Amino acid sequence: MENLEKIILSLAPDAKIEENTQRFTATIAPEKLRKVAEGLKAKGFDYLMCLTGMDYKDSLGVIYHIAPSNDEANVIVLKTSTPDRENPNLPTVSDLWEIAYFYEREVYDFYGIIFTNHPDMRRLFLREDWKGFPFRKDYDANPALNPIPEKVPSVESFENVPTYSIDKDGKLVKKEYPLFSKDEYVVNFGPQHPSTHGVLHLRISLEGEIIKHIDPHFGYIHRGVEKMCESMTYPQMLYLTERLDYLCGTMNRHALCACIEKAAGIEVPARAQYVRTIIDELTRIASHLIGWACMCNDMGSITAFIYGMRDREKIMDIYEETAGGRLMVNYYVIGGLAADIHPNFQNRVKEFIPYMRKMIKEYHVLFTGNPIAYGRMKNIGILSKEKAVALGVTGPSGRASGWACDVRKIEPYAAYDKVNFEEVLHKEGGTFDRYMIRLEEIEQSLRIIEQLIDNIPEGDFKAKVPAIVKIPAGEYYQRVENARGDFSIYINSTGDKNPYRVKFRSPCLSLITALCPLCDKEKIADLIMISGSMDYVIPCVDR
Amino acid sequence: MSSGEIFIVVFITAIILVSAALVIAMLISPRSTNEQKGEPYECGIPTRGTSWMQFKIGYYLFAILFLMFDVETVLLFPWAVIMKSLGVIGLCSILFFLFILVLGLAYAWKKGALEWK
Amino acid sequence: MEERSVGMEVKDIKIRNMKTEDFNDNEYLEKYIAELRQSGMNVVTEKLDDVINWGRSNSVWPFTFATSCCGIEFMCVAAARNDFARFGWEVTRNSPRQADVIFVSGTIVYKMAPVLKRLYDQMAEPKYVIAIGSCSISGGPFIDSYHVVKGVDQIIPVDVYVPGCPPRPEAMLYGMMQLQRKIKLENFFKLPKKPTVTADGNTEGGNK
Repeated sequence: MENLEKIILSLAPDAKIEENTQRFTATIAPEKLRKVAEGLKAKGFDYLMCLTGMDYKDSLGVIYHIAPSNDEANVIVLKTSTPDRENPNLPTVSDLWEIAYFYEREVYDFYGIIFTNHPDMRRLFLREDWKGFPFRKDYDANPALNPIPEKVPSVESFENVPTYSIDKDGKLVKKEYPLFSKDEYVVNFGPQHPSTHGVLHLRISLEGEIIKHIDPHFGYIHRGVEKMCESMTYPQMLYLTERLDYLCGTMNRHALCACIEKAAGIEVPARAQYVRTIIDELTRIASHLIGWACMCNDMGSITAFIYGMRDREKIMDIYEETAGGRLMVNYYVIGGLAADIHPNFQNRVKEFIPYMRKMIKEYHVLFTGNPIAYGRMKNIGILSKEKAVALGVTGPSGRASGWACDVRKIEPYAAYDKVNFEEVLHKEGGTFDRYMIRLEEIEQSLRIIEQLIDNIPEGDFKAKVPAIVKIPAGEYYQRVENARGDFSIYINSTGDKNPYRVKFRSPCLSLITALCPLCDKEKIADLIMISGSMDYVIPCVDR
Repeated sequence: MSSGEIFIVVFITAIILVSAALVIAMLISPRSTNEQKGEPYECGIPTRGTSWMQFKIGYYLFAILFLMFDVETVLLFPWAVIMKSLGVIGLCSILFFLFILVLGLAYAWKKGALEWK
Repeated sequence: MEERSVGMEVKDIKIRNMKTEDFNDNEYLEKYIAELRQSGMNVVTEKLDDVINWGRSNSVWPFTFATSCCGIEFMCVAAARNDFARFGWEVTRNSPRQADVIFVSGTIVYKMAPVLKRLYDQMAEPKYVIAIGSCSISGGPFIDSYHVVKGVDQIIPVDVYVPGCPPRPEAMLYGMMQLQRKIKLENFFKLPKKPTVTADGNTEGGNK
C-alpha cells in the first residue's frame, strides 16, 4: 500500500487517497489522467482489469482498476470524473492498454462519456440509433423513445466510425471515417451461426481465404443486467448472476455472495465454504467439458460432442440431486447454502472422480492424437504473453500463453487456501495449448475435489442473515476464477437495500477482442478453431 | 434388347422421372413469398457490396488442380471395369498414364501450388 | 358426422406410446380444428393426409438458433441422454431455407429482434415456432430491462410455448410432441395461413 501511495503522489501530487477501502483508491483530476496512466504503465502496471463508468449525480466519472501482471494482488483503483454532463469527455488510454479500446466504448455506450483521441467511438452494445444513455441516473426509460426496431441497421451505420479530439480552443471536434473501403469483401459471421457459441456478430474483411480485419459487434443478448441490479435487492440479484455466464453459473453466484458477505460482515460457516468449493470445481469441469465438446464439434467431430455432453450429464445429476437445478443450480445464498447437501452427495462425487479420469484418457485417444486435429490446431493463433496481458486475456487462454493469472492462487477465497493444486502453464499460446490446458485443468479440479470431499466439516450450512440485507456505504470487490478467467464484481453501495452501482467484469470480452489481432493473416477456417479454443460465452460479454 | 436400346430406355426414364418430380411439385405445392425470402442469407444480416468482384487467383488454381485429378479418376474407371481382359499390356499402359500425371502432381507440390497463399 | 370427426380427430392422434388423455391442453387442439373448419379448411383426415402428416411430423428439422441459457438445454436435448433423434428431429439445419421449426431459446433483445424476424421470414413454409423458456414467452427474469423484448410473440407467431428457466430437456421433448400433434391435424395441400404480427405486437390474420 505504501509503495502505491508513493507512486501516485509522485505522478499527481494533488491526488486524494481514500481511507479504509478494500483496495488502494485514489481520485485524480481528469487533466492528470494521461500523465498518471503513462507513469503507471511505465512502472509495470500493464494489466487493466476493468473500466467502470459511474454517475455521481453531479458528475460523470470512470473508475480504472489496474494491476501489474506479475503481482496481480496489488491493484490500484484510480477514479476520475468530469462535472460536464452535456458533453462529458476524458482522454483515452487505449494506446496504453489495448483492452481499453473496448472498455471505453462500453462506457460511452452506457454513460455518454466521450474519450478523446479514441480511434473508434461507436457504441458497443446498443444500436447506433438508440436515444439516450441507459445507465445515467436521469435516463428516460420511456419505451416509446426506443421501440423494437423493425429492420436491421444499414451498412453505413455499421461502418462509419466517429472519432473525437479536442482542438486548440478546447472544443470537441468530431471526425468520421469509414471502417472498410468500398471494394473490400466483408462477410457477416453470425449472429446466427452454429460456431459463434452464442450471438456474436463479426464483420470480417476477407482477401480470398485470409482474414484482413475483424470488427466485432456485441449487444445481441444485452439484457441490461447491471442496470436491473440497481433496482433490485441483494438477494434478488443472485438469480441474474447465474444467467450471465451460464456454463459456470455457480462461480459467478459465488462471487456475488462472497462480495456481499464480505461487505455486510457475514461469516460463512466452513461447511458452506467447502461445499461451495467442491461445487465450483465440478462446474469448472462441466464448463471445460462443454468447451472441449463444442470446439471438437466445430471441427466436425460430432462424436466428441456427444462424449463431452454425456459426461456433463453426470455432473448435472449430482447437482440435481442436491440442489434441484441442472443448468441453473441456484444453490448459494447470502450466508451459505440454500439447503444442506444430500446424504448421497459425497458418494456420487467420489464415484465420479475415477470415472472422469478414465474418460479424459479416452478423449485423448479419440481426438488429441488425430493428425487432422493436430494439423488444424498446432501453430495456429499464437498469442504471446505481452499481448495476452495487454488484452486482459485471463483464465485458461491466458495461462496457455504463459501468464500465471489464476485468481485461486493470487487471492484465494473459499477453501482454496487449504488445497494443493498446480497452476497449469504452457509457453506457446497456440490453439493446441489452449485445447490441452482445459483437459489438464480438469485433472487439477479433480485433485482439488479429492482433497476436500472427505473432509467437509460438520456444522451449519448457513449463517444467520437479516431478512433485509443492507451493506454499509462504500465500495466492495470480489474476484473469482471463472472457468474463462478473472470474473470480478464491484458493488458501490450507499447503505440502502439496493446497490447504487454493480459492475461485473467479464472475462469473455477480452477473449473476443483477442480474436482481432490473433486472426490476422489466418484463414477463415482457422478463425473457427481459434474462437473454439478461446471458449467464450456471449451473454457474459453483453451482460 | 441390345445395349443401345437399353441405354435409350434408361435415358428416357431418367428424363421422365426428374421432370415428373419437378412438374408435380410445381403444380400442387402450396406457395408463399415475402420480401425477405428473396434476399440472400448471411446469418440474418443483409449482405454488403456486390458479388461480382475480383476473385483471388488461388481459387482458380485449386479448381484447376481438382479438375485435373478428377478427370484422371474418371478415366481410370473404364480401365478398372475391364481390367482382367486387358491383361498386363493394359496395366502397363495405365501405369504410363498415371506416371505422367504423378509427374504433374510432383511438379505442383514442389512449386507450392498445394499450399494456400 | 362433423362432431364425430372432431372427437375422432383429437382422440386418434398417435404419438409414440402416449395416449391423448396423457396430454394437457387438448382443448386448444379442438378449438384449432373448429377454427380451421370455419375458414373452410378440410380437416377430415384421409389416409393420404395421415401418411403425409406422419412423415412431416416425424422429420421436423430444427434451425440452429440459440441466444442464451436455454440453448444449452437445447444442446442437451440433442445429446445422447435425451435424444431427439428418436423423433427424427436431429438434423439441425443452419440455413433457414432448409429448416422447419425454429426453437427460440434464449432472451430476444431489441437488437436481435429484427435479425430473428428476418430469419423467420427467410424460412420456407411450412414453418413452426416453439418458444422455449420464460424469456421468449414473456421476457422472463429480465422483464424489467430496457432492452428485452417481452415475449417473442410480439415479433413472430408462436405455435408452442415451453415454460421453464431453463425448461428441462424432458419438458422440451413434451413441447415437441405437442407440435407433432398440431402438425398431424393439418392438411398439407391447404395449409392454414400463418398470422402476421403487427408492429404493436398484435397477431392478425391467419388461423392461429
